[in-house]
Amino acid sequence: MVLDFNTFYAFPDRFDRLVEEFLRPAYGDRRMAYPPLNFSEDEENLYVRAEIPGAEMNDLEITLADKTLLIKGERKPEQGKYFRQERPAGAFQRVVRLNVPVDRDKVRAGLVNGILTVTLPKSEDIKPRRVSIDVK
Amino acid sequence: MNENKPEEKSLPALRPSTDILERADGYWVYMDMPGVDRKDLVLDLRESELAVSGKTSVMASDKERFLEVQFGSGEYRQTIALSDLVNRAGIKATLKNGVLELFLPKVEQIKPRRIEITAD
Repeated sequence: MVLDFNTFYAFPDRFDRLVEEFLRPAYGDRRMAYPPLNFSEDEENLYVRAEIPGAEMNDLEITLADKTLLIKGERKPEQGKYFRQERPAGAFQRVVRLNVPVDRDKVRAGLVNGILTVTLPKSEDIKPRRVSIDVK
Repeated sequence: MNENKPEEKSLPALRPSTDILERADGYWVYMDMPGVDRKDLVLDLRESELAVSGKTSVMASDKERFLEVQFGSGEYRQTIALSDLVNRAGIKATLKNGVLELFLPKVEQIKPRRIEITAD
C-alpha cells in the first residue's frame, strides 16, 4: 500500500507488502479498543502502558478509582482537506481493572514518544516477603 | 529497492496509521509511530518516493510478566510516492510524541496555464 498522490508507477516491493499482510503480528485486532494497552507486573509494581501518539500529558485525564484505573483523553484531527485518514480521532476512554491493591500515593505516569506508562506500586502488605529461616 | 538487512526481519513490520491532507501551502502527512525515538527514525528520500522507517524502543524490563498485550515492538515502515507537485528540497520532518509530521511543499509553478483563444 503505497500512498500515492497522482503518479502511477510500478511498485518494486509490492510482493513484500503482500507477504507482510499475511504475517501480521498477533495483536492485529488492536483496533478493537482504543488506545491499545499492555498490562504487566513485576514484584514491585503494576505497569499499564498505552499507545497514545500525539498526546501531551495535559491532554490526558488519568484517574485512579477504588479498583480501577481510568484513562481518558481526546485526539483532535488535523485541519485540512483529507486525502487519506487512518489515524483515529475523537474522545477515548479505557478502564483497567487492577487485580491487586496499589499504593495510591506513589502512582506515577509518564509519556515518552507517544507511549503512556502508568506505574502503580503494589501495596506493601501483599508483596512477597522473604523470611530466612535458620536451620540448626 | 528491497534492501532489508537480515536483522530487520526479526522485528514485526508495522504500518503506521497515516493521514494525508492538503492545505494551502502544501501536503501534510501524519504518521502514528508510538514508541519510536528520534534517533531510530530513518527517512530515505529516493527518486520518486520517500521511505520512512523507525524501530520502537523497548520499554519493559525483563522482570515484567505480561497479563495483557495489545501492542508490541516492531518496525514501522511506510513509503510515500512523491508526485511532481512536491518541491523535494523543501520537505520538512518533525517527530513529536510518537507522531511523524511531514510537510511536502508544493512546487511554485504548478498552476496549469490557460491559453485564451480569442476569435476575431
